[in-house]
This record gives sequence, C-alpha cells and structure tokens, in this order.
Amino acid sequence: MKTMAPKILAIAATAAALAFGSGALHAQQKGFSTLDKTDQSKSKQNLNLKGNPQPATATQLEKIPLDRIKLPPGFKAEIWSHGHAAARTMVMGDKGTMFMGTRVIGRVYAITNQGGKREVKVLLQGLTQPNGLAFRDGSLYVFAINRVLRYDNIEDKLDNPGEPVELTKAYDLPDTVHHNWKYVAFGPDGKMYVQVGANCNICEINPGTHGQIRRYNADGTGMEIVARGVRNTVGFDWHPVTKELWFTDNGRDWAGNEGPEDELNRVEAGQEGAFYGFPYCHANGIPDPDIRKPNACAGVVLPAALTGPHSAGLGIKFYTGTMFPENYRNVAFIARHGSWNREQRFGYDVAIARTDGGKATIEPFLTGMLDESANQFYSRPSYVFQMADGALLVSDELHGAIYRITYSAPGK
Amino acid sequence: MSYVNKSWWQPLALGLAAAALCAGAAIAQPVPQAERIKLCGVCHGKDGNSRMPNTPSLAGQPEFYLTNQLFLFREGVRNVPGMSELLKGLKDDDLVALAGYFAGLEPKASDETIDPALAKRGAALIGPMRCVSCHLPSFAGQEQMPRLAKQRIDYLIHSLKQFRDNSRSGADTLMSNVVIGVSDDDLAALAHYVSSQ
Repeated sequence: MKTMAPKILAIAATAAALAFGSGALHAQQKGFSTLDKTDQSKSKQNLNLKGNPQPATATQLEKIPLDRIKLPPGFKAEIWSHGHAAARTMVMGDKGTMFMGTRVIGRVYAITNQGGKREVKVLLQGLTQPNGLAFRDGSLYVFAINRVLRYDNIEDKLDNPGEPVELTKAYDLPDTVHHNWKYVAFGPDGKMYVQVGANCNICEINPGTHGQIRRYNADGTGMEIVARGVRNTVGFDWHPVTKELWFTDNGRDWAGNEGPEDELNRVEAGQEGAFYGFPYCHANGIPDPDIRKPNACAGVVLPAALTGPHSAGLGIKFYTGTMFPENYRNVAFIARHGSWNREQRFGYDVAIARTDGGKATIEPFLTGMLDESANQFYSRPSYVFQMADGALLVSDELHGAIYRITYSAPGK
Repeated sequence: MSYVNKSWWQPLALGLAAAALCAGAAIAQPVPQAERIKLCGVCHGKDGNSRMPNTPSLAGQPEFYLTNQLFLFREGVRNVPGMSELLKGLKDDDLVALAGYFAGLEPKASDETIDPALAKRGAALIGPMRCVSCHLPSFAGQEQMPRLAKQRIDYLIHSLKQFRDNSRSGADTLMSNVVIGVSDDDLAALAHYVSSQ
C-alpha cells in the first residue's frame, strides 16, 4: 500500500483535534462517533466477565509462586527483585539503575544493586499511570497518561529527583484516557516512539488523533505517524537485523471468547503510516461485527502472527544475548498479561515469536502460571528485559516482582 | 437542575477542615484505629453512610476497592482536597485495616430524594451500558469495582461526570470509555437508578 505523507497526517491530526473538542460533542459530531459500539448481547459470552483486580500491595517474598514456573530444559527462573507493587515496564539507566513504571498505583520505582542485592525505592509517585519509560543520555523520560516529563541526570539524584523538564505541551497528546497509558521507546533512528490507543473497546475513532503509533524528536517536535488503525499496543521493539518495528496489539472485547485474536504486527521498512485495520478489520481479516463497512479489510496490513484470544500481549523484546542457545538469537519474547474477557482463561505466560520476513510463529516459553482446570491464574507477566549478560527479566504486575531467567547447557 | 448540588465542594471543604482540625498533627503520629475511624466519620458518616453532600458512603464497599482508593489518595494519584493530607504517613497495613472496617458496615439508603421518573430512565440505560458486568446486578460492587446501590446521588453524578470528562485520575479508564459522550441528564438518571437499588 501507499504511504501517506506523515506531515499531512500530522496537520490533519491537529485540525481534527481542534474540531472535536471533548466530552459530549464527540457523540454529536457527524462522521465520527466515538461512542462505544460494543453490542454485548451479540457476543454470546458470559456477561459477568470483568477486569482482573490489581492489588496496590506487593506479595510477600515467600508467597510468590515461583515454583509454578515451567521453562524449556536448561532454563531456570529465580526472583530478581520484589516488593515493588504493580510492577510493569522496565528500562535501565547507563549506571545500572532499573527504572520501573506502573499503571494504577501511579509510581515509578528505581531498583539499584547494593552488594548483589536489589534495593527498591519509590522514585516518583502520584502520577496517572506512568507506564511509559525511556532512558537516554542520562535522562529518564516518563510518560503518564497525557503527561510527559524528563528527569535529567536522574541516576545521580535517585534520592531527590527534583523538578522535571515538562514536555507535555511539546508532545501534545490527546486528552482521552482509555487505552492511553503509554508505552514508549527510542527507535534505532533516535526518535521517541509513542502509542495513542483507541479510547474505547470498539468505536469509530478519530483516525487523525487515535489508534496510532507516532514518533517524535526527543524534545517532542517533528511528530510523524508510523502506524494507523492500531487498537491498543503497549509494547514494541525493533528487529535486531532488519531494524523494522514490531508491535503487539490487543484485540477488541465482547466479540466472542475465541477472538478476534490479539496480534503481532510488523511495520515494513518504507511503509510507515500503514493502516492496521481498527475498528473495521481485526486479526487475520475478520470484519468487525458491530461496525460494518464494505470491504472492511481492503488495504489493511494483516498481522505477522496471531497471539491468541484475549491473551493481552504487552511487552516484546528481541533477544540479542549469547547466554541463551543459538536458536533464540533474534527471537522475540512476548509477555502475555492474560485474559479477562474470556470464559476459559488464556495467556498469563511468556511466548516467543520466531520471525521470518513479515511472518512469525508463536511458541510457548514461560508457562505454569495458569491452572487451566481450575481456571485460575497466578501471575500477570507484563514486560521483558534483556540484561547485559543475556539473562532475561520478566516483570509480574500481580505480585510486584521481577523474575530472572537464565540458561546453562544441560550437563554443564 | 435542582438535584445537582451547585456548590458541592463547599460542604466538603468545611467537613475536611473540621477533620483536619481534629486530626492536626496527630494523624502523622501513631493514632489508634478507633480515632482514625472517628475522623473518617466526620465526613463519611459515623456508620459509614454519608449525610454530607458529594461525600461518598463507605459502608459496605468492597474492601479491595476501598484499599485501592486509600492508596491512591495517600500517594496523590486521586485528588480530592484534604484526603491526601489526612492519609499521609499511614502505612499500607493501616490503609488495609481502614478499608476492612468500612467494608464491614451496613450500607443504608441515602437521605436524598430519588426522582422516580429519572430512576426509570436510568433503569433503561443500565443494559446497553453494561453496568452489571462489573458492579453486579445488585450494584453491590465487587473487588476493585465500587458499590453503587445506596450511594449518594450527588456523589455518583459528580463521579460520572469526572469519568466522562477524563478528570478522575487514578480510576480504571474503562469507566471513561463507558460514559464518553453521555449527557448530563442521562448521567443523573443512572445515578438515581443505581442509588435506589
């Protein structure tokens, strides 16, 4: 498909934002109605399905169900850190500080290494879902919902981070909150990549402002749209060889227990600005049941792989280390947070994606945290991080812990 | 609209001032649980059923919900004048204990007048808006989702508007999705209906 000039899209976004305003106006605007079009009665699902509760406290060390974790032969899991409630995003500073973002609890943690032991500090608090973190040149970038802050020389000021540089206006993100807890990362091009989710389960979003992955200069200037029609991605990474952007995307709810399945997508080089289907076309070409459009999937980039119904793939990282066996090199690890809108629970694991050009195959990796017969889960894996030595960290939002996965060849 | 309190913050601010006076520096010191509960009762009602405009009843709220909200107040995520100050210095366990206490009290109907015509209109909105999936058919709430039955109407209206207008920080954003674009009148109808349950 043809790439739309990002500049024009940016101008359209601004114009649309001006024209739309907020609140009740949305519903009355001709053309776009951001009213949720979910028709729950058609879904034939148990109408009592509900979001999973997320506690504000961390699980005590001895109660973290580490021994449930199952891994392929030669791999081992241990608890790397704990006591940081609602653990999600992980980025590391140049001096080895692990910064951790959260959603509901509003904190950013700093985890440091003190003589081989992790020390956890609440670095920032009172933010609205500071899930988006990035680190560059000594500065920590914090993206809360509709707020962008930069803390310079942060690793020298962990006890008193001081006042941040406010970048909120420069980034000028939409003021809606749903699906707008952020995921951000610096790309190989040095740009800051930021997602703007669809602010509904299923609705006709304003394509000029929502359902996008954008990129900016670090200071918030030069916005370009990288992907459109993206419902809710909260994880992306770049393939180590092709440098192409890959992102997870959470499919809509209340359209059945079996899907539409969540997606792993690729932005092919030169196709920045491509359309990924929301709200008209889902998964491998499924037209939306509630928002109809002729040829709903025409011109839509279909996913590289389906990642399971309601599985909630969040963090994704391509593995570039040497600790794991050779056949894990350049393989993507995906943390699947686990379902809520599905009668038989699904996910709560870490899967791997082996990519081949524009396609990928999904395999299990870290399992055991879902008891299928009891339909009960014991973990909410959220993000993955590769350490300098090749070990893999997995954050668990439910228990407020990070697991460290290592490998040693059997017999060694 | 007569059923909407025009200056909701005024009695709230007064109540908080009273609470803050009683609390003074004491709240930062170790304060017995009974004293803390008394302080909460100044605004939220001795029995956890609020008679103060725009101040929610806590009686019979799910413990999980109350715990989460107390955390959000303490840490300044959810902003209500005075609440963060009152909770400053309280330990996680203190918050859990407070939540447990109020969760165990019996909810009583609000002393506001339910408008039957509005309640009837509200009843018709419940289905399409999928309220019962989370708040249950009894509207007693569960886990992180609050009880709505017997809650104060003015507080419900205030909260619903906050969700709609993206000004309720710390809340599950799903609520913003549910009420986006809904008119003031419909929000009032919903509030009258669920409060009457």
